[in-house]
Amino acid sequence: MRRQVNRETVMVRIPPTPEHLALLRTAVAGFAARDHFTLDQVDDLRLAVEEGAVQLLKHVTGEGLTLTVSRTEPGIEVRLSADVAGDDPVIDEESFSWVILRALADDVAIEMQQGHAAIVLAKHRLATAPQLDQDDQDDA
Amino acid sequence: MTSQYSRDDTRHLFEELRRTGDPTLREELAKLHLPLVEYLAKRFKDRGEPLDDLVQVGSVGLLKAIDRFDLERGVEFSTYATPTIVGELKRYFRDKGWAVRVPRRLQELSLRLNKVVAQLTQDLGRSPTVPEIAKFAGLTEDEVLEALESGQAYSTTSLDAPSGEDDDAPLRLDRIGEEDLRIDNLEYFASLAPLIEKLPEREKTILYLRFFKGMTQSTIAERVGISQMHVSRLLTRILEFLREGMEGDSEY
Repeated sequence: MRRQVNRETVMVRIPPTPEHLALLRTAVAGFAARDHFTLDQVDDLRLAVEEGAVQLLKHVTGEGLTLTVSRTEPGIEVRLSADVAGDDPVIDEESFSWVILRALADDVAIEMQQGHAAIVLAKHRLATAPQLDQDDQDDA
Repeated sequence: MTSQYSRDDTRHLFEELRRTGDPTLREELAKLHLPLVEYLAKRFKDRGEPLDDLVQVGSVGLLKAIDRFDLERGVEFSTYATPTIVGELKRYFRDKGWAVRVPRRLQELSLRLNKVVAQLTQDLGRSPTVPEIAKFAGLTEDEVLEALESGQAYSTTSLDAPSGEDDDAPLRLDRIGEEDLRIDNLEYFASLAPLIEKLPEREKTILYLRFFKGMTQSTIAERVGISQMHVSRLLTRILEFLREGMEGDSEY
């Protein structure tokens, strides 16, 4: 019955408008909260996604903005991506946004590739969770 | 409305105000009509916003009405002002995206969870996870998530509504102590400085501690004397305010 799943990924694609950002916040928060992140961290991720998405929205040329949340070994990886105009980084490393993202995530990277931009955030799980491969649903 | 309310006074004050432009007369008129604002604000009180906030919003409408009222039109001021005040209140709810009224059940659950979170934070010495909260409160993870989510939805519009027993505690500035809040780090971001100046002291402190001192929300909560959830909401709102402010005018 048990499947071998080490890596889960959730994707949400929204039209690139501010009204839809709530969906991204909710998605990342739901994912992280179920994955043994503390409330502080869940909120950090929520804020980081909001900040990143808002910045990305300023450059979007395509029809969608995609959030990809993956479970990784140390925690979680959040990727916000979209087609954008130009090849300049969507977030300047000297901006306040960058400071915010650096404070909220353990690792931040901006990837620019031929009209496609991605903001990649990593957050490590604290040592709070039961072993990942252990089925902890039973005691809930 | 009230016994002090007098049409003649109103008329007289308006005449004087138009003649002299004296701002104290404008204030006088606003004070005189505050009961009208309170009365109208009460009609919106079941939407989950604190009445004080609504009165404040309504007062903005009142001032607009005072500035626009034309004595020659021959209508009573209160008749003229009512739609303006109501309009301001409606706009407030619309702007805040207050589409969903959080059901009472969730509001209560949210309050209860606030206490559970505080308790667990103390016991664990860190912010708890959702599975931990669920277990402690005897709820499913989904129930916890739903309540937390509604807490978020509810509070983006209502930051100052008490959401926990400690939320009204004053900012313990003495506990911040030696911390230099003159935000040297922030001066670097020239465009932000004037915006940050507009923030209340408590919000400035939270902003500084979270983004420049790297403190967790729970630590900040303890330090400032409010709940973690309240810190979370304040941070959300502060960032929103700064973002909007960078693009134009905004009021915190």
